[in-house]
Amino acid sequence: MRLLVIEDDATLRDSLCRQLKELGFGIEQAADGKEGLYFALEYPVDLAIVDLGLPEMSGIDVIKEARAKGKTYPILILTARDRWQDKVDGLSAGADDYVVKPFHFEELSARVNALLRRSGGWASSLLSAGPVELDTARQELKVGGSPIELTSFEYRIIEHLMIRAGEVISKTELTDRLYDQDYERDSNVIEVFIGRLRKKIDPDNSLKPIETLRGRGYRFALERNQES
Amino acid sequence: MSSLSARLLISVTLLLVLFFGATIVVLDSAFREAGEQAQEDILDGMLMALIAEAEPNEKGELEMPAELREPRFGNLGSGLYGALHDDSGNPVWTSRSSLGLNVPYGPAPQPGTNRFSRLRLEDGTPLMSLSLAVQWELNDGELKPYTFNVAQSLDSFNAQVARFRQQLFTWFAAVAVIMLTSISFVVRGLLRPLRQIESEISEVEEGRRQTLSDDYPTELTAVARNMNVLIGSERARAERYRNTLDNLAHSLKTPLAAIRAVLSERQADELTSRVESQIERMDDIVRYQLRKPATIHSETVGVASFPVERELTRLVEGLQKVYKEKNPQIDLEVTQGMRFHGETGDFLEVSGNLLDNACKWCKQQVRLTIRPLQPNNNDSGGMLMIVEDDGPGIPVEAVDALMQRGTRLDETAPGHGIGLAVVKDIAASYGGTVEISESALGGAKISVTLAPN
Repeated sequence: MRLLVIEDDATLRDSLCRQLKELGFGIEQAADGKEGLYFALEYPVDLAIVDLGLPEMSGIDVIKEARAKGKTYPILILTARDRWQDKVDGLSAGADDYVVKPFHFEELSARVNALLRRSGGWASSLLSAGPVELDTARQELKVGGSPIELTSFEYRIIEHLMIRAGEVISKTELTDRLYDQDYERDSNVIEVFIGRLRKKIDPDNSLKPIETLRGRGYRFALERNQES
Repeated sequence: MSSLSARLLISVTLLLVLFFGATIVVLDSAFREAGEQAQEDILDGMLMALIAEAEPNEKGELEMPAELREPRFGNLGSGLYGALHDDSGNPVWTSRSSLGLNVPYGPAPQPGTNRFSRLRLEDGTPLMSLSLAVQWELNDGELKPYTFNVAQSLDSFNAQVARFRQQLFTWFAAVAVIMLTSISFVVRGLLRPLRQIESEISEVEEGRRQTLSDDYPTELTAVARNMNVLIGSERARAERYRNTLDNLAHSLKTPLAAIRAVLSERQADELTSRVESQIERMDDIVRYQLRKPATIHSETVGVASFPVERELTRLVEGLQKVYKEKNPQIDLEVTQGMRFHGETGDFLEVSGNLLDNACKWCKQQVRLTIRPLQPNNNDSGGMLMIVEDDGPGIPVEAVDALMQRGTRLDETAPGHGIGLAVVKDIAASYGGTVEISESALGGAKISVTLAPN
């Protein structure tokens, strides 16, 4: 998934981008409002993190403009102005949540994950489809009630697929989720991980949770459970 | 002497006393002079009458008839006295009216001249006398010196003067009272614009008016104009102060966020936890101290009021986004047409902090009630804001600590902490109070009064 980070402070922006990349997100970054709006409108973005106090164009205006141009992805505000007036202004401009500086990175990543999950149509942090349950808060996977051990790469892939359950996810997108852009990409690695996940979740090959669509990508095929 | 009208009235009174006093003195002495002149004329006439009735007898001496034409000479104590003295000063005749009285006429004047003088009887009665020395030609052509004396009591004359003086005082006093009363009415009218400017200034201070009106008399338009300039610059100053603090907070928080972000890239060790705790402290300082701009409302002048419903709707929509997963049910019970007299930011700060806490702690239900402090006054009488939730509530022993600045009940879920201290500060700056109690919903109930200025 691709995140857009618009923040004018270089140190903060670089550090955020590095850490978000480590979590497996693809990152676009911009240092001012105008550049940020360009990325927000022209690039495929799954979520935007927008600082409110930006040079060239305020964060509020970037959000308003993006919403006016029909962009529906979640937007998280970073704000140094933690007066409610500013928060309310940001939220009514079209943002979905806010994080007040100085935040802990864990708080930011939790909000980002929650927003992404919500945009995937999941209302709570517990994603459940058939017998498969993924607790994104605890990063735990259970099948039929029994926990399954996952490596962090495996977790990221199943999380990504489950959040967007029913959608086709390309190999490239999954590679992005796993690696920083600079890494040498080897799509075979994805196939290996998918194979391992299938074995762990569905050892007797009866559930078939992950479909392969040749040439297009993968899809998490189990129906979402209603109550979640 | 602080009141202009008192100053004016006192000056006018002093002037009136001065002018009227001088007038009274002049009138009084004129009246007295005229009266004395009349008295002298009367005495002159009496003296002539006396001389006309004097007759020489056969002994060659001057004699007065027993009954004089003027009856008052004959009546005892009539106040009119007469006497005829020979050249040695012995009385040849005294009028019957002066029987038993020793009227001290004094020595005779030079022959052929007369003399007016003031005398006093032994009992103190003041008299005016006229003496005339004559050379009387007797039958044989011999000239004999005589002195005719008349005297008249001044009692009735003095009484007349006193009556006149009393009337004079009465009339002038009445005129002075009427003048002072009408002047004080005029002054009240003249000073009305000053009272108007005073009440308009206090309205500006209380935020019920933006600027002074411009329908003042010429002498005051400059004052009103300068006041308006002052109000404008005061407002700009408060705004600048607010912006400066706001920018300071903003520019401190981004570096703090950067330090924290860089720090979280490192392996956690003693250094990171030490730095982290310092960041925590600085963050608290910035959040609490630099939030002050929200609470400097009392120094700003001329703040308008706004209807609260629209702002609340925006706030609740925002909170529902933020708490989408918990999806709390937020009930608004706001009195129709409720207005808040003060900064929008202050109102949002109070309601935002309280509602955010309630959403954080509630199980499912949050209720916000806003109603006027005084029934049927939803505009300027102040408001009561109650936020309740069905969460765990706040333990009684924690209430005091919570009301202190910056104390947090639960370090891991900062919520009812700085937020509540800020609410308390803002409420205090609007002359209001904050109370924590238990809600019928089961959780905390926080009641804030925001009084009008």
